[in-house]
Amino acid sequence: MKRLQRALGWLAVAGLAAGLVMAFGVAPREATQGNVQRIMYLHVPAIYLWRRAAGADRLAHASAEVGVVFTSINIATGAIWGKPTWGAWWTWDARLTSVSIMFVIYLAYLLLRAMIEDRERAARFAAVLGIIAALDIPLVHFSVYWWRTLHQPPTLLRPGSTPMDAMLVAALTINLIAFTLLSAYFVAKRVRLLKREQEVLA
Amino acid sequence: MPDNWSFVFAAYGLAALVLGGYWRRLARRERELATRERGSGGARRAPARRGESGSADPATMTRPS
Repeated sequence: MKRLQRALGWLAVAGLAAGLVMAFGVAPREATQGNVQRIMYLHVPAIYLWRRAAGADRLAHASAEVGVVFTSINIATGAIWGKPTWGAWWTWDARLTSVSIMFVIYLAYLLLRAMIEDRERAARFAAVLGIIAALDIPLVHFSVYWWRTLHQPPTLLRPGSTPMDAMLVAALTINLIAFTLLSAYFVAKRVRLLKREQEVLA
Repeated sequence: MPDNWSFVFAAYGLAALVLGGYWRRLARRERELATRERGSGGARRAPARRGESGSADPATMTRPS
């Protein structure tokens, strides 16, 4: 487990370095938005990672915590990208609102776990809240189809071919892989720490 | 459209801060647990394997002096 986690850590570091090279050195300047579009290579990978919150209790706890970290990056970088392209840091668009609701539910999930001392009760209540939070995930994905939004519809997870330039897709894919490795590393490390915490504090 | 490099650097810098902060938090928690385990004499758990706390894990290599 420790060896796997170490390997994941180094793979994530290599992936992030490759992702930065692709995002800043290889991917061309986007014709409409200019270089500010390079935020996409950070913003998009960060949002795909909240889907991981499922499974056994420690894994769910660790995934929720890591999901909150990555979703906070997604919301913050989205605002930074939105200001020069949309002219606003924030708008109550369906996608932005549904992501924010999901973010708050996962924060509540972590708060709930922290507030209840009995581990079994905390796990049971958190599992219920986790299911409610998971119900928001399809809402987030389909919000751009169901409502008229300022946020664009999916570019990669869509039926048919993507309208993006191949080099932009390559840079985005490498960053997606790097962020997935980094999140797997964080989750593996957090799961191991939670196990040790339970052993030490038992 | 202008390039808005300041926004690009702000986004990447903020992400680096958040990820680095979380990484350090996990590393600090790991060190705290190792200290507690050593303090309790490994009564509840076998002591950490040699080299485990000072491993080549990237998260534990940046410990503050």
